[in-house]
Amino acid sequence: MTLEYVDAGEAINHGALSNVSGTAPKTSNVDYERLLTARDEPNNWMTYFGAYDGQRYSLLDQINTENVKKLGPAWIFQAGMSGQIAGASTYAFEACPLVVDGVMYVTGWDGWFWCLNAETGEELWRYKHAVPFDVSLCCGNVNRGCAVANGRVYFVTPNAQLVCLDATNGEKIFQRTIGDVRAGESASLAPTVVKDTLITGSAGGEFGVRGHVDCWDLETGEQRWRTYMVPKPGEPGSETWPDDGEAWARGGGNHWCTGTYDPELNLYYAGTGNPAPDFDGEVREGDNLYTDSVVALDVDTGEIKWHYQFTPHDLWDYDSTMEMTLFERDGKKLLGHFDKNGYFFVLDRTNGELQHVTPFVDRIDWGVISRDGKVTPRKYPEKEGDPVHFYPGPAGAKEWTHAAYHPEHDLFYVPVADVGATATRRRREFREGMPYWGAAVQVDIDDMAGSVSAFDSHGEEKWRHRLDYPMAASILTTAGNLVFAGTPTGEYLALHAETGEKLWEFQCGSGHHSSPSTYSVNGKQYIVVPVGWGGWLEGIIPGMLGAGHGSALIAFALPD
Amino acid sequence: MTMSDVPTDLVRDLGLDQQNAATIGQVLGTGSIAEATVRDDGTMEATIRIREDSMSWDPAVLVMPRGGEIELTVINDDKNTHACLLPSNGDQKFLWLLNHSKGKATLTLDGPGYYWYSSPGGNDEGRGLTAAIVVQGEVPPEARLDRPEQPRPTKEDNS
Repeated sequence: MTLEYVDAGEAINHGALSNVSGTAPKTSNVDYERLLTARDEPNNWMTYFGAYDGQRYSLLDQINTENVKKLGPAWIFQAGMSGQIAGASTYAFEACPLVVDGVMYVTGWDGWFWCLNAETGEELWRYKHAVPFDVSLCCGNVNRGCAVANGRVYFVTPNAQLVCLDATNGEKIFQRTIGDVRAGESASLAPTVVKDTLITGSAGGEFGVRGHVDCWDLETGEQRWRTYMVPKPGEPGSETWPDDGEAWARGGGNHWCTGTYDPELNLYYAGTGNPAPDFDGEVREGDNLYTDSVVALDVDTGEIKWHYQFTPHDLWDYDSTMEMTLFERDGKKLLGHFDKNGYFFVLDRTNGELQHVTPFVDRIDWGVISRDGKVTPRKYPEKEGDPVHFYPGPAGAKEWTHAAYHPEHDLFYVPVADVGATATRRRREFREGMPYWGAAVQVDIDDMAGSVSAFDSHGEEKWRHRLDYPMAASILTTAGNLVFAGTPTGEYLALHAETGEKLWEFQCGSGHHSSPSTYSVNGKQYIVVPVGWGGWLEGIIPGMLGAGHGSALIAFALPD
Repeated sequence: MTMSDVPTDLVRDLGLDQQNAATIGQVLGTGSIAEATVRDDGTMEATIRIREDSMSWDPAVLVMPRGGEIELTVINDDKNTHACLLPSNGDQKFLWLLNHSKGKATLTLDGPGYYWYSSPGGNDEGRGLTAAIVVQGEVPPEARLDRPEQPRPTKEDNS
């Protein structure tokens, strides 16, 4: 006798088996005009850095030096995970939450996007992109955030997809493939809305790809332009690569952290990553443009207007992808950049001319950069099999996590890492999609330090809050005269912006490796902090590889 | 048998591909392989099932020739209740599978790459109810890097 099967029906969305309502209020429209003056709306945090200039500075001052000791958690959102995910041991909560009219948009690892009520933490809708288990991840299953414009939100996925969603319900509007996962490309940065376009970049510099910056039509997702960060033979800059062979085609230079933008100059400042192979310079003689550089791109055409290379012919994995902070001094348009190589650079952002360069970490011995920018390498992996120790290690004196700039004090607050590493050159043949480092690398595990350090725009250190571990999270500063910083050991700190005095701390239960933001709803200011330890810990702080992962989003506020 | 370069007999002799033999459950990555069918309209279809007392998915590896939409028929022939949590762009897809039941799931997956899915109840995942969907193919031409063809790893590289 044949039994009829019981009808199990049609599979449903996993989110339907939760308290997620599936809809969010329609907010006021965020368009380019509003993004141009985003800082003037401190109740919202509408773009990755809070404003195009990358300062991570908010005008909100309800939470201030007088009352910050009363700060406490208002709500906690716990994401967790189910099933097997790519890089399960390396996932981290690296995002910067955006907020518009009390609605929060935040991305997570493995293709997650959550929309929350910013006042209560209630999950309003979710989107989960399916991410292949075998996608090549350089540095963990991570994502740094999203963009919002015209009733839509945009983000990228680890398998190099650009996804556009309806901001009210998370329904997909379009999807574009923006990289080649078979080549080792991935994507992790928060896109930037500029005019009627969206700017993204690629990750995968450890796999010997050719880095690029891309511009997409905001409405349709059609590509406007792509500019490679390593020139082809015959193009300007190609003379900085070997004129025989294919080193340029595997040269790296990925733009994997969000850039900044000057609307008056019409320039997008893209930081670029290390050359590939990271530590074997013999196969890529020359300066290797435009790796480890800031590249100023015309946002309408993608044309490179100027560039400045922070570490020519890098042999230490000193990416320069982290923020290019735009600020003014004495009427001059400047750009400040704290590089992995341990030096703070200030450039004229109209033309890339160096103003001055100063060290910002105690231990630097890979080489020396003079105040006028002359680079003299001293210690680097040169001979096959010969170990070489150098400071800073490959995660740099500051990893991707961002400094903040307080314009009233003319102070930069920098998450400093002081740890060295040993690299032993090991040449390998290039194979597409395979790691392409050219060395064995071991970061020091028992000799490390960190700090939140304040520097004026001339590079003079004004104060330092010392830590036992290298810092690995972005700084936030506010008109409340406060500096907020998360430590690898889980403490979230409020420091006095002028003195560095610690005024408050809260143990969040997991290390910090994200970019907190601030906003207000119904007159109440919140500080929102993604907490989830992970990422490229073997490079940043191997001494914390065994610390517990987290997956919480904590919003802090003053009591009613 | 999906452990490459390992003789099938050895896997069986060691009891890696069955319940309560060498291990308590069936080791991930062992089991059968099947290819999805491409319909005339280009959409794909396949059947995945849990056989009686197998505590594993058949096939253990389902191969799609490219990314896109696939319609799965999901069958539980076991005398125990299980479930199915599948990857799909937008949200994971969930199906409750009573004893001797059959349902459908429509998935949208990018390629190339492979995905795990499971029965997310009890320790179904650990006992062996975790299986893979492989998506073959290349990314669209416009997403590929502008550079000469590069060498990829070969079988000899792994030997």
